[in-house]
Amino acid sequence: MTATSAAALPATTDAAPAARRWAAPLWVSALLIILTFLVIYPLLMLFFGAISDSNPVIDGFGKFNPSLTHFIAVLGNENVRLAFFNALVACGGGTILAVVIGLAFSWIVVRTNTPFKGFIAGASMIPLFVPPLVAGVAWSILGSPKTGLLNTALKWMGIDFRFDFYSMSGLILVFGFYYAPYVYMFTASALRNMDPSLEEASEVAGASAFTTLFTVTFPLIAPAILAGSLLSFVVMLGIYGVPAALGAPANISVLTTYIFKLTAWSPPLYNTAAAVAILLMMVTAILVWAQQRVLSGRSFATVAGKAFRPRSLNLGPWRWLTFSLALAYLFVVVVLPTVALVIAAFRRFLFFKDFRAVFDMKAYSWVHFNSIFDNPLTMTSIWNTMKVGVITAVIGGVLAFAIGYTINRTQVAGRKSIDLLSTIPVAIPGLVVGVAYLWAWIGLPGGLYGTIWILALAFVARFIPDTVKALSTSFMQIHKELEEAAWICGRGLLSTIGTIMVPLARPGIVASMTLLFVLAVRELGSSLFLYTSDTTVMAVLLLDYYEGGNIGKTAAFSLVQTVILGVLLGITYWLSRGSAESTARAG
Amino acid sequence: MKRRTILAGIAGAAATAALPARAQQDAFGSKELIAAAEKEGGLTLYTADFAETQQEVIKEFNKRFPKIKVAMVRAPGGQLITRIKTEAAADKLGADVVNHSDRGLMLDIADLFQDYAPPNAADYRADALVSPKLWPGVTLGWAIAYNTQLVKNAPKTWMDLTKPEYKDKQIGQVIGPSGGTTWTRIMFERQVLGEDYWKKQAALNIALYPSGAPLSDALVRGEVSIAPLLYNIIYTKIVEGAPAEAIFAPEGVPIVPYADGITKASKNPNAARLFMNWRLSKEGQTFMIKKLGNITSLKEPPAYPKGWDPKVIKVWVPKFDEFSKLRTSWMEEWNKTYGYRQ
Repeated sequence: MTATSAAALPATTDAAPAARRWAAPLWVSALLIILTFLVIYPLLMLFFGAISDSNPVIDGFGKFNPSLTHFIAVLGNENVRLAFFNALVACGGGTILAVVIGLAFSWIVVRTNTPFKGFIAGASMIPLFVPPLVAGVAWSILGSPKTGLLNTALKWMGIDFRFDFYSMSGLILVFGFYYAPYVYMFTASALRNMDPSLEEASEVAGASAFTTLFTVTFPLIAPAILAGSLLSFVVMLGIYGVPAALGAPANISVLTTYIFKLTAWSPPLYNTAAAVAILLMMVTAILVWAQQRVLSGRSFATVAGKAFRPRSLNLGPWRWLTFSLALAYLFVVVVLPTVALVIAAFRRFLFFKDFRAVFDMKAYSWVHFNSIFDNPLTMTSIWNTMKVGVITAVIGGVLAFAIGYTINRTQVAGRKSIDLLSTIPVAIPGLVVGVAYLWAWIGLPGGLYGTIWILALAFVARFIPDTVKALSTSFMQIHKELEEAAWICGRGLLSTIGTIMVPLARPGIVASMTLLFVLAVRELGSSLFLYTSDTTVMAVLLLDYYEGGNIGKTAAFSLVQTVILGVLLGITYWLSRGSAESTARAG
Repeated sequence: MKRRTILAGIAGAAATAALPARAQQDAFGSKELIAAAEKEGGLTLYTADFAETQQEVIKEFNKRFPKIKVAMVRAPGGQLITRIKTEAAADKLGADVVNHSDRGLMLDIADLFQDYAPPNAADYRADALVSPKLWPGVTLGWAIAYNTQLVKNAPKTWMDLTKPEYKDKQIGQVIGPSGGTTWTRIMFERQVLGEDYWKKQAALNIALYPSGAPLSDALVRGEVSIAPLLYNIIYTKIVEGAPAEAIFAPEGVPIVPYADGITKASKNPNAARLFMNWRLSKEGQTFMIKKLGNITSLKEPPAYPKGWDPKVIKVWVPKFDEFSKLRTSWMEEWNKTYGYRQ
């Protein structure tokens, strides 16, 4: 980032100086107030819960008995330490794998002439909209050491090897597979928006394509890689479904499954859960701080006011190797689990005497689909989910743009606080944040509680960090000179945003709003406390099916959800690809 | 209030004997109650039971009272209690009727419920009640389930589940702290089957599951071969043709009477009352036994589940004072014995 700033610049132009002087502080205060309401207020409720024995709504602040019992109990409990260690290993390993896969994919899709790139790009995003619980269930159907389909097939083929996904390596693999799209999303848009002249310079200087990749290309998109890996790490830390389905049978406990246990035991221990959650937040805070230290003081502006076209490397016959690598990944991450889900959804029962039983067509029927569509709640939940998803994406997208712009493109006082506040929610696990929102917002005057809007509000708050981070990457890459050019031409701040920033950052905006939509559709933890019979969402109904022990209906409903999301995502992908191309042309 | 209602119930029952045509109506409530309930037109049920099961109940209720729409909010037990407490404190409790498996947790919030007793109150076992406001609309019982494709020599008694032939993760078990239903079973195991029952069973290296539903699914898939399960969880699967069977053991069937009540905040008190009356009536209970695999807390069960010989099988209800008093210390011992990390 350069020294010129939006806040400083208007002061140098003389038009209406008084109004200008007040605009920046007013703007910052407005953002801070919104973030305080969305983040700090529920967080205070959480702290209040963690350091006392009371429920802030039931007992009121008057009965506040501060005690560090929960913290001490949590820190002294060796099982918490074990869960903590397991979480770090699983998420750390998963992140490394996700970075390798995500980066390789974005390079293959954006920078090479690998055949069928569009298809690969679209399909590689599929894992992103698979709810973690469904991913966990699908991989337990495939990789259970006792009954897994893969092992049944191996046995049938007379091969002695057996997969065991009920293990730490199973967790790491599934995490890596499913969260690679986070890294991909960040790095692909960075690669797409990168000026290839730097790479060309490297090659002119005699470096090989491979050396250029590791000495020029990847270092240049370092913020995107870091942002993507940090986000995927933190998201993995907060995931419940995968470790619940794969870790629990092997008695591998991570922080989220531990927190879930605390809230599910009878009686529930929310105050202790809040204390564990705060522990989790501290880890994330350290990571975010580390990321900012690494990135501070460097300029990553690679989109400049010069026309370019993303360069495509001619791989020659090697392009078929990259193509088969991509296909292998898609087979493992998309085809296998989908087949597992389809089998589960259409088969009356998931018992296989041997591998041949898989092909016994008499065992298949539409019974689970009929049954879920007989349930009137199914249609209600789909409709509600779409409404909440759109509201969340729109409100969250606008707010994230405002926050991202303020953080990345201005020098106004207070932007660091805005950055910090908007990063906090990423660290709070869903189940705990759900109860924090309930505690915080149930008392609000007006009829907010019990409506779709309170769900949307919770999702906006919960996913603000993901959205802002996704957008910030786009902002960081757009060179200041483009905005400056607009100001020199006499445009005001808003007009510059409208004519320069929005069109240039459009792929990022569309991507982050899509991400927000997907996350909102999947979100369970905060929905569980805020939904009512009229505002049931799909995630809640999916948990109902899962908790009811009906894997067939769970699989059938997940397929329905996946198809709906797939169609919507296909549309937005098509839109953002169009805009990316037009951006590249216009750039 | 309670006595008056019970008397009314007895009077109603007497009238039933004399006038069969009026019997059903009286079993559910007076003409005035039904009219008032229909005028309200609906109610909201908060439940910790499985959503699908409760939907079946609602559907059946609607066959008799089609004008009363029942909306449902379902959440797992602990989460549901937290939500009810918080909503009530903010004066926004949305439930007319609450249906919960943990009598201990419900007793803690008994203040939120209004006085209520069904017309057939006197027909219910006294030991199934913890408060005059809370009633066992649902009663579940523990059975021993097994995968018919995997188990050659099926277990017949609770004691069989300590036999070495079932070692090495053949048996699956729900963890003790999962809630009131499991606590009832492990209390039965220790009090009836012997102080060392847990130890003998734990020595077989059994698989632990967080709750009954995933365990029932694991049993059908063959991840485990044998599991103590609430009968209703496995019953519907057996009916649909799953490779599973369930038996009731002769040492006793631990039963879990739910605690259901009508909230003081109820905006549809008449509909709520009618709904509760129907659930607790002979008709409601018979439906739940026959179609859903429930047991009942009625002194004289109107029906029995398949394979239940009333001459041999006896139900076992925990003493409620012990249910609360022993819980923490015994649970700790259970966790230690089974190596469950808490």
